[in-house]
Amino acid sequence: MTGRSTRRSGGREARRISREVNIEQVRPFIERKIPYYELLDDAGLELIEKNADTVLEQIGIDFKEFPQALALFKAAGADVQGDRVRFPRGMCRSIIQDSAPAEYVQHARNPERSVTIGGDRMVLAPAYGSPFIRDLDGERRYATIEDFRNLVKLAYMSPGLHHSGGTVCEPVDVPVNKRHFDMIYSHIKYSDKPFMGSVTSAERAQDTVDMVKLVFGEEFIQSNTVLTSLINVNSPMTFDATMLGAATVYAENNQATLISPFILAGAMSPVTVAGTVTQILAEALAGMAYIQLVRPGVPVVFGTFAAAVSMQSGAPTFGTPEPSKIMYLAASLARRLGVPFRSGGGLCGSKIADAQAAYESANTLQTAALCGVNFMLHAAGWLEGGLTVGYEKFIMDLDQANMLQVLLQGVDLSENEQAMSALHEVGPGSHFLGASHTQANFETAFYRSTVADNNSFEQWHQEGGLDTAARANIICRKMLDSYQAPAMEPALDEALIEFIGQRKAQFDDRDY
Amino acid sequence: MTEENYDDEEIILSELDDEELVLQMHDDLYDGMREEIIEGTEILLARNWSAERVLNEALVAGMTIVGVDFRDGILFVPEVLLAANAMKGGMAILKPLLVESGIEPIGKMVIGTVKGDIHDIGKNLVGMMMEGAGFEVVDIGINNSVEDYLAALEEHKPDILGMSALLTTTMPYMKVVVDELVRLNIRDDYVVLVGGAPLNEEFGHAVGADGYCRDAAQAAQMAPLLLHNRRASRG
Ligand code: B1M
Repeated sequence: MTGRSTRRSGGREARRISREVNIEQVRPFIERKIPYYELLDDAGLELIEKNADTVLEQIGIDFKEFPQALALFKAAGADVQGDRVRFPRGMCRSIIQDSAPAEYVQHARNPERSVTIGGDRMVLAPAYGSPFIRDLDGERRYATIEDFRNLVKLAYMSPGLHHSGGTVCEPVDVPVNKRHFDMIYSHIKYSDKPFMGSVTSAERAQDTVDMVKLVFGEEFIQSNTVLTSLINVNSPMTFDATMLGAATVYAENNQATLISPFILAGAMSPVTVAGTVTQILAEALAGMAYIQLVRPGVPVVFGTFAAAVSMQSGAPTFGTPEPSKIMYLAASLARRLGVPFRSGGGLCGSKIADAQAAYESANTLQTAALCGVNFMLHAAGWLEGGLTVGYEKFIMDLDQANMLQVLLQGVDLSENEQAMSALHEVGPGSHFLGASHTQANFETAFYRSTVADNNSFEQWHQEGGLDTAARANIICRKMLDSYQAPAMEPALDEALIEFIGQRKAQFDDRDY
Repeated sequence: MTEENYDDEEIILSELDDEELVLQMHDDLYDGMREEIIEGTEILLARNWSAERVLNEALVAGMTIVGVDFRDGILFVPEVLLAANAMKGGMAILKPLLVESGIEPIGKMVIGTVKGDIHDIGKNLVGMMMEGAGFEVVDIGINNSVEDYLAALEEHKPDILGMSALLTTTMPYMKVVVDELVRLNIRDDYVVLVGGAPLNEEFGHAVGADGYCRDAAQAAQMAPLLLHNRRASRG
């Protein structure tokens, strides 16, 4: 070291604390500073757009048992026969481009946590929908509301996750027809990040809207967006009444939806990349156009979830090259359309947080980062094709999420980053560890993994020879032990509890 | 399929002796050749084979090979679909003859996803494998209420009721259906099989099913056994 250090910094205690927060800075969302990776040129993308228009015009899309959608499409100029809607070429695109915003703010209970979805931003949310949990004792069992709360708490404590997600697991111990109240309440109470609403029926969507009215006020939500909810297409080329019912409630109330063709390619779409992307585009265009007809200008996101089925068993597979190609193309198409894009996640088919899980998830996460996903659901915890969410996997994925943030920062070319002073100071031979430039920058220079072990073999061995999942297990327990709830007005808590109590009393528990 | 490696000289089925023909039919089932299976079935019948013997030695034995290779990852789903379809072609001819001669058919299954559930890929695979195993399958589609199931049981009089659910929010509905069968005193008229990724053995017991099937191949294995036991227990 050259010269004397100028200031005391609080010694051991202060340093220990400062080293615990591992990420440069906690940000409400990622702002991307690197280019998009485009897999196809304009001519290729135009061909897919043309084919999608042919699907919409000649084959059409079913809007099953939902007369409201049929009527709106008919009035807008589509050809409606039974449940089948066929669209003149370009119709859906122009409806969407006329009114759908290119980006929007989803407000959080804590304004500092509000996220912008679209443009050069990326927002990460935890896994969604798993009925099973792989718990910290290594058991696979049905998830409970306690697990749900734990996952919300972990997401709240994770700088790499910007969003609390939705059905972070299925709380199987709560009656089916009342679960949504407990889930929404948990997001509001145990986190202050933005979250997703219930979509399993229009009524449950309405309950969600009524609960956020208590948080934000009726007037606020009619001119702002506080929910982003997941509407899956029943591919191929079908929207069902359940999803449409929920989507309609959200759109009418100015709340955002992710219109997501959810494709197991080979079973729910053709076995090729180009064919699948064509179908995805057609389905997403039809769904987003419907949303814009319900309420022009309401935020809507082009979603894509693609896995390939094993042609040998029908089981979904993840992290393979074809779904990555699909994601790259869908992202390009969403950009050309001018709407935000949802895809990605730490997707894998593995049962446990092992090498298969890590490789497959990393493949999907990297693709999502490079292709330009704006909203990434399933960023943490996903196992077994979504059947299971794992605590250890959740912690391992968080590390990846943090890394994406750094990757997407791109390359800083400021004078400090050019590091010419360091090059001059050290010169040939010698080393950089003591250079003043290094002293000034080392702390935040390189990403420090939370779960990797890069110590000597001997140290690793002495410390128990733990694998990644075992190390993640320890971190997870610590996090849950140290959780502290965000502040919440007691009056709001009371109002929510009262609302839930009243609603729950209005109908019997049902298990379906 | 690598056709170059295979010397596809014209095979005239009617010129083969019985043993050769049966082996050829096993290959034709494997290759999903419906027309050839229909022709082979007709030839064997014309040679005075009983319908039951054709069924067991030519078709079921052939599909057993298909099942094994599917399980072992050699055959792919689209190939098994074709094989099952070829099997159905032969079955259509044999069925009336089996009925006529008082032979109990392999069995009939009504299958559908429960109310609120539209996940049907798994159910479709189960239907395919069951057809491959010689069952007659009546697929009543998705989103079935108790009334839908009852109407289908009434109309098709199957041996097996199959229910599929992929959502923890819909799988408890299986119990609603089974309870209704019990209430109507017709539960024991059927073998009830359930499946779907979020279910497990324990859940199968809890809803009162006779069997939980972890996958399509297991459903096709379990169904004949359970049916056999049921028939045996009834004498
Ligand atoms: C004799 O009877 C028998 C015997 C054996 C039987 C049997 C019956 N049935 C099945 N078997 C067995 O044999 C089959 C073949 O070997 C096997 O069948 P499987 O069906 O298990 O396997 C198939 C071959 C392949 N597997 C599948 O087809 C299911 C895959 C996953 C990814 C899945 C898919 C594809 C879909 N989904 Co859905 N979906 C998921 C699934 C997660 C997963 N990994 O399982 C799951 C089940 N879905 C879920 C959710 C949440 C939802 N889905 C929904 C919609 C859809 C799509 C329409 C997009 C699509 C289904 C398309 C279709 N036509 O089937 C929505 C609900 C729709 C509805 N009302 O039903 C929606 C609610 C989406 C939303 N927006 O929130 C989750 C469950 C949540 C819960 N509550 O339990 C889920 C675990 C994914 C997730 N993490 O979100 C065995 O189980």
